Amino acid sequence: MRRTSTGVKATKAVLVVLLLAFTLFPTYWMLVSAFDDRAGQGGATLVPREFTFHNFSYVLTDGGFGTFLRNSVVVALATVVISGVVALLASVAVARFRFRFRTQMLMLILVVQMVPLEALVIPLFVQIRDLQLLGTLTGLVIVYVSLALPFGIWMLRGFVAAVPVELEEAAYLDGASWTRMFRSVLLPLVAPGLVATSIFSFITAWNEFIFAMTLLGGEADKYTVAIGLKSFFQQNSNDWGAIMAGSTIITVPVMVFFILVQKRLSAGLVAGAVKG
Amino acid sequence: MAVTYPTPGGGAARGPSRRGIARIRPWLLLAPALIILGVLLLWPLVRMAMFSLQDYGLREIVSGSTNWIGFANFTEILTSRDLWAVVLPNTVGFAVLSVTGTVVFGTLVALLLQSLGPRTRGFVTGAIMAAWAMPAVTGTYVWVWIFDADHGVFNQVLTSLGIIDQPVNWFTDRWSFYAIVLLNVIHHGFPFVAVTVLAGLLGVPREIHEAAEVDGAGAFRRFFQITFPQLRQVFAVVIILSTIWDFKVFAQVYLMPGGAGSNRDVLNLGVWSYVESFGQNRYGFGSAIAVLLTLLLLVITAVYVRTILREEKNL
Repeated sequence: MRRTSTGVKATKAVLVVLLLAFTLFPTYWMLVSAFDDRAGQGGATLVPREFTFHNFSYVLTDGGFGTFLRNSVVVALATVVISGVVALLASVAVARFRFRFRTQMLMLILVVQMVPLEALVIPLFVQIRDLQLLGTLTGLVIVYVSLALPFGIWMLRGFVAAVPVELEEAAYLDGASWTRMFRSVLLPLVAPGLVATSIFSFITAWNEFIFAMTLLGGEADKYTVAIGLKSFFQQNSNDWGAIMAGSTIITVPVMVFFILVQKRLSAGLVAGAVKG
Repeated sequence: MAVTYPTPGGGAARGPSRRGIARIRPWLLLAPALIILGVLLLWPLVRMAMFSLQDYGLREIVSGSTNWIGFANFTEILTSRDLWAVVLPNTVGFAVLSVTGTVVFGTLVALLLQSLGPRTRGFVTGAIMAAWAMPAVTGTYVWVWIFDADHGVFNQVLTSLGIIDQPVNWFTDRWSFYAIVLLNVIHHGFPFVAVTVLAGLLGVPREIHEAAEVDGAGAFRRFFQITFPQLRQVFAVVIILSTIWDFKVFAQVYLMPGGAGSNRDVLNLGVWSYVESFGQNRYGFGSAIAVLLTLLLLVITAVYVRTILREEKNL
């Protein structure tokens, strides 16, 4: 076995502390400023000088963040449900069936993920305008479903492929139809993957910025949280306490979800890589 | 990978209609996804290409008429001084720096994590996840706040240390602007690299390393001659994905002071396309820029797909 000297140990400890400081500083600074009543005037300090919830209450009431939060939740949940169902069906098709153009289909789904959003925003703006859905949450949901779909199919394909085929065969031997097998065998086993994918689509919809800004335009009562923050920036002085309080409200749910889902997410990617 | 699954819907004895359904079932399952992807991703791409060949402005959007001008938009872009002196360096140069920074820093973090005990490693990995989870929008606002000219902590620290006399506005100069974007992008991007490389590192058998150590190989040599070749595929995927993400940096630039088009020195391809379209109503010109960005990414994606295919063959 190797012997670790105290010098090496101390260096490592210092490196870990530096790494943690760099990694966590922005989050910490966001929280400190959000809870400091004087963050806007004199700048924040390492420990809030006047601890307060005022920034939060201001943001949620006068700032209109309550409406933004409701809009974001509605949009994200609709995106999760629709893209989850559609992606699950498609992933069963590509993971369980052999058919012509299957490989081409998979490549198409992979390539489509690489298209830059800045490129899609112009034609989709025109398209949503033609549908007369500019300034509505419906228009936003339609776009987000299409953004969440390729990754969802790619992820779920791994989870579906990881379910042993023998289980399906056993169900058929017992006389189950395909639909029955799907409902009673495949669906329960893929459920954890579905949860992981759903959280991912939720985060996509929750964080998205370009489309929300472009498609919602001036309809301030339809804003999602990601663009609602912009209203706290004034011409000359910015109310940083309020901006950081709003940022905290946006960030905390995402962080919780992300840490919850992280293990499953990587498991799904690995499963997808190993099983054809 | 030559596993053949039995045809689901299986019971061949159940009559011809059931077998017919079994044959079209994959297409039935795929239909909703294909319709959505076709209408909302592929068709828009085709339209973007069509717009890029037109002088497409507000009038055309409202009336739905066409206004073909051939390749005039592309000629204007390719002969514009903005492209060669500002936009392309800001896009490509930035992507090169940020990919290098993210991958090198992420790998160093992964090596550090590998050398820690399981409990510390778990704790630090959790903290890193927090940086990863921070949405781009709020993350950018926090960095803007840290470097804020009037009350930002960065200026305060520099002033109290006596390095600067007066608060400096870091957002007006192109170099310091992009230094902040770089910090933001690396901070947000290194966790993915660290976690992925760590997973690879933990898969390299310890015995090989110990044997090399016994033979007198230093830590540097062990990394480049043992670890790196074993993890070549992992690095390929990490580098290419980071490249694709860093070419598409938008919110991180757009939300910074001056980043939304008012400071033309800091434009990159994505922001340029956006402000020409939605700021100047030149949707055709903006589409042409978007076409160039897409082509650039397509080339990188082609490399990515080939790497993955090679990897699957090796398994």
